Amino acid sequence: MQPSLMNYFPILVFLGIAGLIGAAFVIGSLLVARQNPYGEKLSAYECGFEPFGDARRKFDVRYYLVAILFIIFDVEVAFLFPWAVSLSHIGMLGFWSMMGFLAILVVGFIYEWRKGALDWE
Amino acid sequence: MATGFFATDFGILILTLLKSLALIVPLLIGVAYLTYAERKVLAAVQLRKGPNVTGPFGLWQPFADAIKMLFKETIIPDGSNRYLFLFAPVITFGLAIIAWAVIPVNDHWAIANINVGMLYLFAISSLGVYGVIIAGWASNSKFAFLGAMRSAAQMVSYEVSIGLVILSVLVCTGSLNLNAIVLAQRHIWFAIPLLPMLVVFFISGLAETNRAPFDLPEGESEIVAGFFVEYSAMSFALFFLGEYANMILMSGMTTILFLGGWLSPIPFVPFTWVPGPIWFILKVAVCLFVFLWVRATLPRFRYDQLMQLGWKVFLPLSLGWLVLTASVLEIFGWLPHA
Amino acid sequence: MSVTLPDAIAPPALKSCPPAAQPAQPVPPSPQATTDAIETIWCDADHLIRQMQYLKTDQAQNYRLLLDITAIDERQRTHRPHPNCADFTLLYHVLRPTDGKQLRVKIPLTQDALIAPTLCAVFPNANWYEREIWDMFGIRFAGHDNLRRILMPESWQGHPLRKDHYSRATERGPFVMQAATEQAEQYALRDSPALAGMIDDADDDPETMIINLGPNHPSLHGVLRLVVKLRGEEIIDVVPEIGFHHRGAEKIGERQSWHSFIPYTDRIDYVAGVMNNFPYVMGVEQLAGITVPARAQMIRIMLAEIFRIISHLVFFGTMVQDVGQLSPVFYVFTDRERALELIEMICGFRMHPSFFRIGGVAADLPQGWDGKVREFLAYLPKRLDEYQSMVMRNRIFKARTIGIGEYSAAEALDWGVTGPGLRATGIAFDYRKIHPYSGYDQLAFDIPIAQRGDCYNRVQLRLDEMRESLRIISQCLEQMPPGPVKSNHPLAMPMPREAVLHDIDTLIPHFLNATWGAVIPPGEVSTTIEATKGLNTYHLVSDGTTQPYRVRIRTPSFAHLQIIPAISRGAYLADLIAIIGSIDFVMADVDR
Repeated sequence: MQPSLMNYFPILVFLGIAGLIGAAFVIGSLLVARQNPYGEKLSAYECGFEPFGDARRKFDVRYYLVAILFIIFDVEVAFLFPWAVSLSHIGMLGFWSMMGFLAILVVGFIYEWRKGALDWE
Repeated sequence: MATGFFATDFGILILTLLKSLALIVPLLIGVAYLTYAERKVLAAVQLRKGPNVTGPFGLWQPFADAIKMLFKETIIPDGSNRYLFLFAPVITFGLAIIAWAVIPVNDHWAIANINVGMLYLFAISSLGVYGVIIAGWASNSKFAFLGAMRSAAQMVSYEVSIGLVILSVLVCTGSLNLNAIVLAQRHIWFAIPLLPMLVVFFISGLAETNRAPFDLPEGESEIVAGFFVEYSAMSFALFFLGEYANMILMSGMTTILFLGGWLSPIPFVPFTWVPGPIWFILKVAVCLFVFLWVRATLPRFRYDQLMQLGWKVFLPLSLGWLVLTASVLEIFGWLPHA
Repeated sequence: MSVTLPDAIAPPALKSCPPAAQPAQPVPPSPQATTDAIETIWCDADHLIRQMQYLKTDQAQNYRLLLDITAIDERQRTHRPHPNCADFTLLYHVLRPTDGKQLRVKIPLTQDALIAPTLCAVFPNANWYEREIWDMFGIRFAGHDNLRRILMPESWQGHPLRKDHYSRATERGPFVMQAATEQAEQYALRDSPALAGMIDDADDDPETMIINLGPNHPSLHGVLRLVVKLRGEEIIDVVPEIGFHHRGAEKIGERQSWHSFIPYTDRIDYVAGVMNNFPYVMGVEQLAGITVPARAQMIRIMLAEIFRIISHLVFFGTMVQDVGQLSPVFYVFTDRERALELIEMICGFRMHPSFFRIGGVAADLPQGWDGKVREFLAYLPKRLDEYQSMVMRNRIFKARTIGIGEYSAAEALDWGVTGPGLRATGIAFDYRKIHPYSGYDQLAFDIPIAQRGDCYNRVQLRLDEMRESLRIISQCLEQMPPGPVKSNHPLAMPMPREAVLHDIDTLIPHFLNATWGAVIPPGEVSTTIEATKGLNTYHLVSDGTTQPYRVRIRTPSFAHLQIIPAISRGAYLADLIAIIGSIDFVMADVDR
């Protein structure tokens, strides 16, 4: 194994253990508990009534909008990570170029705000 | 590094397994007792007794609950995707656990002391939303679906401000390594110069873990239990455990980023004799208490108010503070040389 | 005491409720003498709309509030009140909010033509009352756009409040639930929003979603069902469905003796105990001409005010919990426990004391009652201060309630909203002040009002009202008159023991009263009180027998639920929860 990857090996082990515990809980419960399903019990919860139609349907576009906004800003955060860590090595030029990038983003943000993309209405 | 058996590949695997279990088992017990603590704290605030029947002071209550959950019937609703339905809680629970691989409870006491620890935590917490969305979708129930939508939008909204807050800490440390971040606070906790960021981080943490006053995804009085309304037995318990493990994780991250990790708050004898993990656990416990305290005190936000707070207050505030921190450090030449 | 009102607003144009074209003008009324002082006029179905429009809009009349609509099956009645009286009588009960004056309009209907025009265009709140009459009596309303059953299931055979409908299940054949029947019932429930015009919208948006909120839901305060149409988080429409808590209290009244119906009234609004005893016994007393001794009157007021506090506390705790604050409900229930201890000390029971009796109260106050009441009076104000700062000044609570679920004074009157819900819109209408009953005129108290008519105002008013109730209780404590707690009237209480043992003329009426029940003189009476949630009216009809001929119970909760759709459209799902929390209803009080 490469030494640099050695550090990540425990994470793999962790992933295995966490997955195993989770699966063991679910499967264990399925095996141990008495299962007695019938139609009424298995119907989806809707306050005691049969649901109107299917739950999987088109839904409000505003939820998508939030997701799109999130992608923009999360990518921005991802860009900032290396910059923030290496700020002392990249000097004034590095600092100001990121400031420029942020300024553009802020302009975009202000635009979104004024357009009402951040309002839930 | 050890020699002999533990130097072989197989030995390393065994060693890692043992180390992992040494973290996971106390963690799970901690999660179990956090549910107990929550019930006791809420009871104390509400002038009740809380669990007090099973064992002394009700101390066996978490185990009684676990055994009860294990023997409950797993109800898989008719119209659901069976495998996704059962898989979703495993994801939520698994993600809450694996984040702990990089958390140092003492100097170099992390299972995986990786250089990009902070990035790893950020990535894991971003993934958390998947368990919720899959659960809401797989249930094929409208309440679950609404809960999942709410939760997805809420978690991603606060993810951004959490990211920006982390960045303002990073410009102060110059390293993504969690161990280095803690050691950078030997002279002063970041809670002091970055106090507004601590507040933003903690509140975003409440939103990120779907806790009151941001518990809209499961808003009991509105959409009953939200995304896990259809869950029962151990698959329900996994969501529950996942939520509480995430609370502990958030408190751990707050401790590492702002409260000086395992460092003693009082830098002289005899307080420095107290082992680091004790300090770490104490600080985490204080953060957790605030989680519970907030739940006992505050009403719930409405959906649009929550979004407004996230996008219109926290995002500009944390972004501005990041720029301010970076500028101050750059201008005065206080940047860390990692 | 007078109240100023806003100008009437034009009624919303309902789909099939065309407004009457003719200008409002009075039809020559035909008055009827009644036992109470309430003016009663007879009119015929053709002139109903014009008559009601006149009563509502004419400045001199100004009967802005439609208090109640009900019907009476007159077919077995021997003492007919008026020559016009036919097989069925429709009874419209209006109220003038400026001075509390009431008026009844009666419409005779014959068995072969059970139809009347709908009043929805004049009074929007007629909607549910007309549906209830259709459900209970089978009287149709021409032009009503949604004439479905409201309390009974859609599949019910017959109309329960008709005199020829059985009152007990044992009076018909045994019933076995078949799988097919169960399925049909489920299907009928599933379809009801379609009937309410919710699904078959022409402009149906595929992004909308229809969900059931309740009856099995943690924050609907009992078995209320709301069918909600949502777009994302926004509410497009709401249709309340009620009747899951219907127990047929009015039908039960027709087969109880006058005395033995009292315990049933306790259960109408089960968080407000004696509040339903009050109008019932007042009504019977008026019919029988019984005067209640002063001490009994004062005890009644004191208990009613303690129950007002109890009810408001429960309201406050649950409302606050509905917006997500988990702790106050526990503090509030601790306080309620203190109040219930007082009730238990005086009545021997807690939630359903049945303490009011015809002609007085069941027993005198116990020794040492004043000390306990004084303790409570000292205890509660500090707690109320605490709630004020813990909840009412909380910023999240304010953000969740201020400006939410607003309605204007005119809307409130149109929908028949009374009580704190009406006072929150700036109208100081309190029946205790405007038409004092049982001696409220001897006590000093203020009517707290608010202006905005939103959820926050409604919660705040109830906190303020508790302080006023404490004032009233403390005055009762100081002014409690000595004397008997029951009237000596032969119809009211058992006759004096000595007299019963002494002469046969007292013994025989005593025997009859005790075995068959008191015979109350024929007549009709409506009694109204300011209950915890709004106006509570009992309309009693006696045919000169040992049982009521008709008991009509007008509850505030029933009226208030009707306004939910009007104030929820366009709000968020979370607001809907705050709105129904702030309306303060008890499903038993709605469905009776």
